[in-house]
Amino acid sequence: MSTVIAQIEQQIAKLSSKAVKKNTGTIRSVADGVAKLDGLSDVMYNEMVQFPGGAIGIALNLEEDEVGCVVLGDVSSLKEGDEVQTTGKLLSVPVGRALLGRVVDALGRPVDGKGPIDSKEFYPVEKIAPGIMVRKSVNQPLFTGIMAIDSMIPIGRGQRELIIGDRGTGKTTICIDTIINQARINKVGLASGNKDFRPVYSIYVAVGQKQSNVVRTISALEAAGALEYTVIVSATAADNPANQYLAPFSGAAIGEWFMENGMDALIVYDDLSKHAVAYRQISLILKRPSGREAYPGDVFYLHSRLLERAARLDGKGSLTALPVIETQAGDVSAYIPTNVISITDGQIFLETDLFNQGIRPAVSVGLSVSRVGSSAQIKVTKQVGGKLKGELAQFRELAAFAQFGSDLDAKTKAQLERGARIVELFKQPQLNPLSIEVQASILWALQKNYFDAIEVKNVVAAASAWKDYLTSRKDALLAKIRNEAKLSDEIEAGLKAAADEWKATFVAK
Amino acid sequence: MRADKKTKALAKQLFKLSLVNGVVSPEQVAGVLGYVEKNVPRHALALLQLYQRAIATELAKSNAVVEHAGPIGDGTLRSIEAAMTKKYSRPVAATAKPNPKLLAGLRVRIGSDVYESTVAGQLAALSSAV
Repeated sequence: MSTVIAQIEQQIAKLSSKAVKKNTGTIRSVADGVAKLDGLSDVMYNEMVQFPGGAIGIALNLEEDEVGCVVLGDVSSLKEGDEVQTTGKLLSVPVGRALLGRVVDALGRPVDGKGPIDSKEFYPVEKIAPGIMVRKSVNQPLFTGIMAIDSMIPIGRGQRELIIGDRGTGKTTICIDTIINQARINKVGLASGNKDFRPVYSIYVAVGQKQSNVVRTISALEAAGALEYTVIVSATAADNPANQYLAPFSGAAIGEWFMENGMDALIVYDDLSKHAVAYRQISLILKRPSGREAYPGDVFYLHSRLLERAARLDGKGSLTALPVIETQAGDVSAYIPTNVISITDGQIFLETDLFNQGIRPAVSVGLSVSRVGSSAQIKVTKQVGGKLKGELAQFRELAAFAQFGSDLDAKTKAQLERGARIVELFKQPQLNPLSIEVQASILWALQKNYFDAIEVKNVVAAASAWKDYLTSRKDALLAKIRNEAKLSDEIEAGLKAAADEWKATFVAK
Repeated sequence: MRADKKTKALAKQLFKLSLVNGVVSPEQVAGVLGYVEKNVPRHALALLQLYQRAIATELAKSNAVVEHAGPIGDGTLRSIEAAMTKKYSRPVAATAKPNPKLLAGLRVRIGSDVYESTVAGQLAALSSAV
């Protein structure tokens, strides 16, 4: 018996002699969510650091005699002299399909009360953007469901399109509509059984927003049946600045999983102005040198490295980014707006004046542009909406001059009448994206002068009636437009017959 | 008190003067302290605190603190000294420090590195894994 015990003791001795090496340090000071640490001689930049009590930090400042570290979590239990240790790992978040329909925080932990997330894979939050060779040019459309955008400022899969405007001009609404439209397209496409159909999954990153706004967004997505195709990363105004700084990067990591696994994803960063403010706060507390408007020198790199991660990969999927920037009094030449404008592939500028005039979405056609999206536009949209931007620009110019004179020639009057109708047609209620075939049909009717005889104030009602008529009676025709993606003679004949029939029955109220 | 750039630079210079062949020399340290006492610089307190921290960090690199729960033999200390001297390529002295909280085993701390082989450490790792 004693030999057996001796054997066990030997085994225990073997096990217990295994020493574990740790690199440790101590907290020198903690203030405003940032800890200054002594020691940690082996710590790496951006490495996760383990604090007592389970809190995690990220080493952001590696100095000669101290380490500056942002603490993600509760700092109230930390005190001077507490031992800290390195983990040898970069900050990672769970990724995969298991996250769809869930609301997570900046570290990928669920905050929706629906239980743990069953995810086996983790992606690092900070990752180098895909290189030149693996990229492919943007040539597949991503429909927002908003007629003014899809016809004049088209967005392609893999593009970065900035949504910029003052507060309360409908920036978030455009993003939510786009997410809802993706869900609707996904449902139709997946139900059709088409093997070539590529669904678009959405990631909505809320940075520094009010919790009530985030709840409203979740409810809107849930009501529209879009939450099942969406991941929400939430770092609200109540979260510490470190979480707000990390949230867009976590969202990008979640989106990259879809992209690298051959799927398409859309990511909304709502908004990067607040993200820059959170980063400025961290940088100032870390005593980094400040530059213009007290932002640190690397605030451009902060956003460029984030947005460069949106791409279309050769042989894989794509990640489309819709960053949002809030301007102050319409000033697009401020520091952060100009930075992000220069990084992105175009911008959709929303004007307060248009919004107040009731033109919603308040897209300013003159200042909005899509640099790569036109190559992603489908033929039918080009056929019916190719001249719209020019016509609208002409209308704005003429409308400005027409204010001063009453005698106008017939051609100018006609242009003004047409422009006014286009403006009315582009009015669209929120949370109601239109399918591309319906958009094309409405624009076709405009092009063929079906709205000319209708009074300007009744154009919105007429467009709505035309849409209802098509969706309720001409489903086959709409399906044909959707599948063929161009206006063939047969489709045009079908549209003409339908429009004639509709016009005979339409009575403006 | 927060040290300014000049104080930090001076503390660094004084620290460099305290080393002989990369090792802290007690004579040099005494000389530095005598100099500071004679020519009291601005922010002398902050300067001495920075200097003290740098010297303590340097000394900790050459001193292996061996925490132990049970008795520890002189031979064990000497073998730890030899192993650490070989690993870090500099002379390392080991000093014993009893710590009953470890329950059993040893914890060796050298600079900011910690080598842990204790029951308390294993229990902590187990509890965090569960």
